This record gives sequence, C-alpha cells and structure tokens, in this order.
Amino acid sequence: MDPTSRTPSPPRPVEPHDQSPPDGPPLRLRPPTHRVDPRARRWWLLRGLAAAGAPTLVVGAVWWLWEPARPWLAVPLVLGVLWTAARVLVEPRLRYAVHRWETTDLAVYGLSGWLVREWRVAPLSRVQTVDAVRGPLEQLLGLATLRVTTASSSGAISLRGLDAELAAELAERLTAVTERTPGDAT
Amino acid sequence: MSESPAAPRDVAPDAAVVEADRPATDDGTPWSRLAPRMIAVDLARSLLSLAPTAVAVGVFGVEASWSTLWPLLLIAAWGVLGAARDAVRWAVTRYRVTDEYVERRSGLLVRRYRSVRRDRIRSVDTTARLRHRLSGLRIVLVGAGQQLAAGESALALDAVARRDAELLRAVLLDRAPALAAADQGAGADAGQDAEHVIARFRPWWVVYNLLSIWSFVTAAGLLWGAYWLLDTFGLDPVAWVEGLLPWERLGRAGTVLVGLALVLAVGAVGMGANYLAASWGLELARVPGEGGTHLRSRQGLLTTREVSRDDRRLRGITVSEPVLWRWMGMADTSVITTGLSIWSASQPAAVLPRGPASVAWPVASAVLAADPDPIGAPLRRHPAGALRRRLWWATATAAIVTGALAWLAATAVLPAWAPWVGAALWPVALLAAVVAHRALGHAVVGDYVVVRSGLVARATSALRRDAVSTIALRESVLQRRLGLRTVAAMTAAGWGRYDAPDVEADEALRFAVAAAPGVLDPFLVRDDG
Repeated sequence: MDPTSRTPSPPRPVEPHDQSPPDGPPLRLRPPTHRVDPRARRWWLLRGLAAAGAPTLVVGAVWWLWEPARPWLAVPLVLGVLWTAARVLVEPRLRYAVHRWETTDLAVYGLSGWLVREWRVAPLSRVQTVDAVRGPLEQLLGLATLRVTTASSSGAISLRGLDAELAAELAERLTAVTERTPGDAT
Repeated sequence: MSESPAAPRDVAPDAAVVEADRPATDDGTPWSRLAPRMIAVDLARSLLSLAPTAVAVGVFGVEASWSTLWPLLLIAAWGVLGAARDAVRWAVTRYRVTDEYVERRSGLLVRRYRSVRRDRIRSVDTTARLRHRLSGLRIVLVGAGQQLAAGESALALDAVARRDAELLRAVLLDRAPALAAADQGAGADAGQDAEHVIARFRPWWVVYNLLSIWSFVTAAGLLWGAYWLLDTFGLDPVAWVEGLLPWERLGRAGTVLVGLALVLAVGAVGMGANYLAASWGLELARVPGEGGTHLRSRQGLLTTREVSRDDRRLRGITVSEPVLWRWMGMADTSVITTGLSIWSASQPAAVLPRGPASVAWPVASAVLAADPDPIGAPLRRHPAGALRRRLWWATATAAIVTGALAWLAATAVLPAWAPWVGAALWPVALLAAVVAHRALGHAVVGDYVVVRSGLVARATSALRRDAVSTIALRESVLQRRLGLRTVAAMTAAGWGRYDAPDVEADEALRFAVAAAPGVLDPFLVRDDG
C-alpha cells in the first residue's frame, strides 16, 4: 500500500477560511428586499386549517362518537387543537413577517420558515429550471410559487406566496437569463 | 390563468438517454448482435438447474413425486425459463455505435430503441457473473450523467465477448480527438502514461466485514436455506442440532446465548465469504485516458466488476466511520461524483470496501490529490451551544418516551416497571449527544470545503467549493437562542447535500461565504454596529 506517493509540491500556506473579510466590522447577510404578497397570509391560514385542522376534526369526531376510545384520544386531541391554533393564529403572521425574496441577474435569494428559518441562495449559473407552480389554494387566491431547481436534488429554492402574474413574469425572465448562461449547470 | 411559460431546460432533444420506437439516427451503421456464446451458456444453465433434481432422485433415492420434489422442480423451472428468456433476448437484441449515439434495439413484440448520446456518457463499466467469466463474456453498462430509476444504467449490453467489451469501452470513453485535446488541460501533466495504483486488496480486511446488523439477516438466510435443502433430501437437521449439545443443562438463558453466538458465527462466515467474493483482488488505480484520467477499480472473485469513474466528474470524497466500530478503526470510503447513483445496490461510488481507517484516509487523500490536502486538515470544532442543543434534545426525547410509557403504565397497558426503561434511556441519550457533538467539525481547505458530522456513522466529506450549487443557512428557534446556525452546501453529486450543523452564527456566515465563493457576496453588508 503506497497511497501517498504523489509527486511532492511546494507547500502552500493553509489559510484560515475567512479570506474575504480581512478586517473591519463583521459582515452580515442582509435579508432579501421583497416581502411576499399580503394574500399569502390567507393562503397559510387555509393550509394550516387543511393540514392540521382537518385531522384534528377527525380525532375530535371519533372522541365524540366512540366513548371507549376517549382516554386514548384525549392527549392526541389536545395536541391537535394546540397545533391547529398555532398554525392558524401564529404561523401566517410569523411567516409574513419572515418570508422575503429577491432575484438578481446573478442569483435567487429566498428567506423562509417560521419555526425554522432558512436563507437560501442559488447562483443563476447553476439553475436548471424556473417554474411558476400553482396549487388549487394558490389559484383561488391568485398566488403562485416560483420554483427554481438546480442540478442538486435538494438544492431547489421555492419562493412561495408571490402574486401569480409577478411569478410568471419572473419565471420568464429568469429562464431567459439561465438560457444565456453556458454550461450544463452541474 | 395559464401555467408557467417557463420550459425546463433539459427537454427531450437534449436528454442523454432516449427510449423511442425508432432509431435515433439513420446513417446506415450496421447493427451488431450480442455474443452468440450466450446460447451455449443458456443451454449449460438449463442443464445445471436440472441437476439438483437428478441428484436427489438418482443419488439420494428421493421418491420422484411432485410433493417431495416441488422445491427442486421449481428451481429447475426457474433456471430453464431464465435461460430461455435469455436466449430470446439474445435473438431480438442488436446494438450499434454511431457518431453521436450508442443505440440498442430490443423487444420481442414491440421493438424499442434506446439511445444514449455519446457526449453524455460518464462511465462505461464491465461486470461479469461466474457464467460470463467461464465463457469469456462481459456485461457492459453505460452510464450517462442523469440518475435514472434506482440502480439502472443508461444502457446495458448483456453480454458481449470480452474483446468486444474492451473495444466498446475504448471507443466510448475516448471522445473525438479534438474534444479530448480541449479537455486535457487539467490532466495534461507529463509522465501520466503509466497507471498509478492507489490501493490493493488485503485479505485481512475481512475482519472488518464479519459483524454488522446484516449478519443476522445473512445467518437467517443461510440457516433457512440449509434446513430447507437438507429437508428436501430427506435429512433431519433439527434432530442433529438437538443432539449437538446438552441443551437441558444450559437453561433458558444459556440456550439463548449459545443460539445467538451460533447464529452470529454462521452470519459472520456468510458475511466474510460474501465480502471476499465481492472484493477479492481489488485494485484501485488512476488510469490515463484520452479525455483526462479515470479512477478505476477492479474487484470480484466469482463475479468481477470493473468501474471507471471520470475524474472530471469527481467532486469530492466521503470517509464514514460507524460509531460502534470506531475503536477498531473501521471506515467506508466513497467518492462524491456526478452521474453515479448513490442508491444503486452495487455502490459504484464506493472506491474501497469497508476496511481499516489507516488505509481509508491515505487513499482518500490520494484520490483527491489536492494541494493543500483537505483530508486530515484540522477541523474547527463546534461551540458548546451545539452540545447544549444535543443534550437538550436527548433530554426531551427521553422525557417524552418516559412520559408516554408512564401514561401507558398508569392505564395498566404496560407493567409498572415500563417507565424505568424510558428513564434508563436518558443517560444513553446524553452519551449519544456528547458523541454526536464530538463528531462535529468544519473547515475550508484550499479548493475544498470539509464537513464532519453524524452519530451512527461519523462522515467526513470533502467537497470541491466550485461544485457547490446552492448554499443555505438554517436556524431553528432553539438554535437562535443558542446562537447557532446550520450551513448546508448543495451539489449535484453524491448525496446532493452536505451539512455543517450548529456552527456559531457569525462563523456560519463566514463559512458559508467561503464554501460557495462569490454566491453570497451581493447580499452581504458591513455591520455598522
């Protein structure tokens, strides 16, 4: 076994990785410039009702109708009610306060989440597809999600709660930019 | 309200692999058949699969009736049908290599054409089962960039003669001379004519592959198979095992322990044999090709496998050390590369079989051949907050489990001691939290970003910085309180996502900026505070 028999090369100093800011005040990641559409609050509320409220209702109905199961269902029911309340009362406001997005000719930048916040940046040179996606609830409210995918299966950026026309326009513009960019985006 | 006007960039005309009902080109290139020797092999296979039945009747004198012989007859039917199907496949399959495509025509009733664009071919591998090796045949697997359904190659030719396989590889991997010249840039260092062997197989590595959770599955399979086989031939394995040891004197606990030890021993033998068969003669080498170098591994005792990985697709390497076996320095080594499926059962990304860490680290370093070397570079430890977060979660998990068990015990579903199991979980969880925290680390070394994390298997990944396509910073409510952030680097290769969990918030930003050069720059501002 001689795995390390490479040709020796002059040693380069191993720099600490904060090469960009040598001194001065520390750098900060600024939030993206645009807020999402105010109608997104209603969308998140409806989504919360559908995702948390509906199962809670089912559990509640079973609790009501089937007496022997009550001791078993009390805890799940209470948890379900609390979770629904959080998703309906807190989530839309918090998300509206947090969610922001920005697109430039170089990158797509999104900030999202309520319990877990996430800042995501993808350079347009790595972007493969840009789509405006609209689910049934979004169609009802005139909203759309801008989905930007890269060659990485987990690297997609979703900008949710945008105005439908704005999202379509953005998708068109960004697609034009990515098509101008050479390379196979891996 | 129309759908998005945006069209995906890689639609059909650009796709690497196309399956259609007509050939991709029509330039009159002649089609070739698969190797005719396949028919002889299929005949031999049919005869072999009939052999057990013949032996059972002829040698052991088993009564020739359906009720006694059905398992052997099923085997025979399976073998004969498989061979017949193979022969039909030989009859209907043709392949050809045109200037632009590799094409395969197949299908008995409906003719299908599968074509792979030659400029999208990422790998050409050969593999051979025992029957192929005995008859000088090889299966050729052509891999294209995109990851298809689980474990499927873009195009497989099963099987062609060994000479044809080598020829195909040479033709498909060596692009047009002009393209090769343009690509050579990086790998054009002089003196690359000879191949450079990075690692060779050592039989003693088998000790690293004897015990795992799969031992039990292997043992179960082996024991069940043995019982079933002996039973078919009219022998009684149960009586033999009963006569082996004075089981009554061992008591219940003793019987269980001896049984477990026996099962593990059988499993270890099975695992060891399997390992030796799969990895025997492994040779990992960097070989020059027309279009840059390749990382080639050859291995296998009965079924040989040769995998070539294009160095231009190499994005990094992962060394993973399972927690329970870290004391004996066990490590798995796999490359991070695009175009190889991580889900494939044959694990084409694994450049070394499970073996000693003392070999894995230098090999990883030699595979990357980067300067400065990211493997073995000191990693930055993560702050105490990361430990606190893990301790917190360990405590919360233990508390919830204990609470649930206490509730179940209170309602008399479980015996009264059940909550103590949950309580006993707590110190174990705390220990796991400490181990998980000690595994954390990150660094940027030269062109590579290095992250290390993982409780069950501590995985150290070095990823090229220019391969990072999306960069993300995450912050949960608890992380915000502890001043931590998780940095995730997304890439098209390997698992697609490499995390540095729980980095101190300011350091997280610096690390993210360095990990994806230039990506975050437009969104940074100086803090005037």
